Amino acid sequence: MSCHSPVSAPVVARRGIQTRTPLPARLRVLLVGGPNVGKSTLFNALTGARQHTTNAPGTTVELANGTWRTTAQVKADTAIERALVDLPGTYSLLARSSDEQVTADAVHELAQSSGQVGQRGVVVVVLDATALARSLYLLGQVAETGVPLVVALTMLDLAGTVTDSPTATMQPQTLAAVLAASLDVPVVPVDSRGRAAGGLGALARAVDAVAVAKHPKRVAGILPPDTAVLDIAGELAHAERLFEWVAHVTAQVAMGLAPDGEPPAGSGQPPHRPVATFSDRVDTVLLNTWAGIPVFLAVVWLLFELTTRFAAPLQAYVSQLVNGPLSSVVTSALGLLGLGNSWVQGLLVDGVLVGVGTVLTFLPVMAVMFTALGVLEDCGYLARAAFVADRAMRSLGLDGRALLPLVIGFGCNLPGLAATRTLPHARQRLLTGLLIPLTSCSARLTVYVLLAGTFFPHHAGTVIFALYLTSVALVLGGGLVLRQTAFRDVHTEPLILVLPSYQRPHLRTLGMSVQMRLGAFVTGAGKIIVATMLVLWVLMALPATGQHSVGHVPVADSVYGRAASDIAPLLAPAGFGNDHAAAALMTGLVAKEVVVGSFAQSYAVADPGSRTSAKSLGEALRGTFDESSGGHGGAAALAFMVFVLAYTPCVATLAVQKRLFGWRPTAAALLGQLATAWVLAVLVFQVGSRL
Amino acid sequence: MTLPESPLGAELRVTGVRLAAADAFRLNEMGVRLGTLTHVTQHAAFGARVIAVAGSRFAIDGKTASLIDVEPVHRLR
Repeated sequence: MSCHSPVSAPVVARRGIQTRTPLPARLRVLLVGGPNVGKSTLFNALTGARQHTTNAPGTTVELANGTWRTTAQVKADTAIERALVDLPGTYSLLARSSDEQVTADAVHELAQSSGQVGQRGVVVVVLDATALARSLYLLGQVAETGVPLVVALTMLDLAGTVTDSPTATMQPQTLAAVLAASLDVPVVPVDSRGRAAGGLGALARAVDAVAVAKHPKRVAGILPPDTAVLDIAGELAHAERLFEWVAHVTAQVAMGLAPDGEPPAGSGQPPHRPVATFSDRVDTVLLNTWAGIPVFLAVVWLLFELTTRFAAPLQAYVSQLVNGPLSSVVTSALGLLGLGNSWVQGLLVDGVLVGVGTVLTFLPVMAVMFTALGVLEDCGYLARAAFVADRAMRSLGLDGRALLPLVIGFGCNLPGLAATRTLPHARQRLLTGLLIPLTSCSARLTVYVLLAGTFFPHHAGTVIFALYLTSVALVLGGGLVLRQTAFRDVHTEPLILVLPSYQRPHLRTLGMSVQMRLGAFVTGAGKIIVATMLVLWVLMALPATGQHSVGHVPVADSVYGRAASDIAPLLAPAGFGNDHAAAALMTGLVAKEVVVGSFAQSYAVADPGSRTSAKSLGEALRGTFDESSGGHGGAAALAFMVFVLAYTPCVATLAVQKRLFGWRPTAAALLGQLATAWVLAVLVFQVGSRL
Repeated sequence: MTLPESPLGAELRVTGVRLAAADAFRLNEMGVRLGTLTHVTQHAAFGARVIAVAGSRFAIDGKTASLIDVEPVHRLR
């Protein structure tokens, strides 16, 4: 992009930086800004593929970390790198959620450590040109900490489209120059795609210059607060001073842009222009009193379809590829090495390859979900969805955005968990993430179809419908119980959302975001899935008696089979205390899709692909359930289905929960789900067998 | 009058925010303060409103909107 482009090179304030310190080999740079100001877009543009996600220490708040090297540096292979952190968006450093606290803590820590040798860091404060006053308030707070900072002015190309914005008629370069003069710190104009003309090197040069300055300049008009502010009255008084500063800068900008240099009438508050923008016209339909909710439901339905109908064939294709050709190639290769039919083959093919295959089969559905959510977020609809669904989720103390992940969970729990990232508060993400496993995913449907068709052939549809209603009741009940116990701190806050303007999603940015999130899934959850599969294989390969060798043991005689026999008595009060049901439930921990196969395997009949075999499996099930329930097979089957509905969906869900929320909530959820499932199953059987 | 009682498009001035102190403070920080000029751009379900402030659009739930007082702005022609 040429320097004549509207979005151009950095505008540095008048007085140059005089004294310098050496640039550290790895410079810490924090991206700070409000929600939807183009911060993540800028992060993606700066880091490219060199990025990964981690949780902030001691929290479940996800941070995007990346290495920022300019093209010139990469070509010259110079050692200086900038460790860039994309902090959670916030309107203020006076945090009201754990996400905002992470941002505030990171800025304060950087401010404290910046004076130490080799610890220099820089904050890049991202200012939204379409909402300058709101962005300036946050800039003022960051500047008060004394941290070295650079301003990235984004959304310049959109400022003209928001026709009632005070900056609508301003030339981007002019606005940046006036702001730089007013603030007395470097201001780098960036467009909504994270591009700075003159290359992103312009931003890098501005950051490096501030980093090497012995005494980085402070934002004009901002001084450190005199005393620590302890109460809200003090905070308000302090904020008033910042509001005055914001009004002063806004007036200066308006004066600098006025053709005659005179302040506009009523300076301090920009003139209000009640005109309808393009986004307003679209919102007359999408947020309409009557049409808003149907449109939202249609969008949710589309997401549901994408994660089930569209992604399912892709999952099946990947599964066939892994279990067919790939498995054959590995088996043949091991045969050539003289390891055919050995425990090594079992470990690699039935353990490692099955684990890797499980991870790979989830990739398409995760990719579809991340892409769909990214499109909704980038185009500006996600905030509208939260607004429309807000009323429905308010009783659970959740943001309207929670409805989306919960509904997606009915297709598959994994993308539902992935969708919790759209919630702005960590506690809300955790609460929603704990409720998602209670949504009855499509994998559980295979179990319902088999058992309801076998035990209630004339009312199978009604039974399955009742199970879905039970799932909804469990989500609502579970939510209310958690709100009254472990989540008392989650309050129903007023919904005040800034709605971004509608815009076309940026494919490159979207692609990088999807790639980063898929990478996080594979390296985070994927490792746990493969490890769990290996443990399961070992349990199935180890004989419980000395009659078999390792890797050549019938399931019933394995440690795994013996464990199933041992837990069967625990299931007796629910009417299905038999080895077949216990083994199927254990296998169901891996994935609910294999419960039916496990039944078939344990009865030594073929998977119910034909009419005859299905009948055989049904008869076998009826016999077993009737026997273990004292003649109340129907009640026992119903209890079994409720158990399947309520207990842990699969190891992949556990792995993703662990990645998102940590071990403790995941372990607590696992135990809670097992306890809930057992209690409900016992209740259903005990009541059902007496009717 | 309150936001839900305000007609679409009419120029308004914020005259009162009857929210809890912390919530009112956050609204202040976001740019909605006493004296702020605004107008309602959208009536949504359950009394929820979308308002315009300095080029931004704020979506506010019905209960919160009913606690924000406004008065019409009469400009001299």
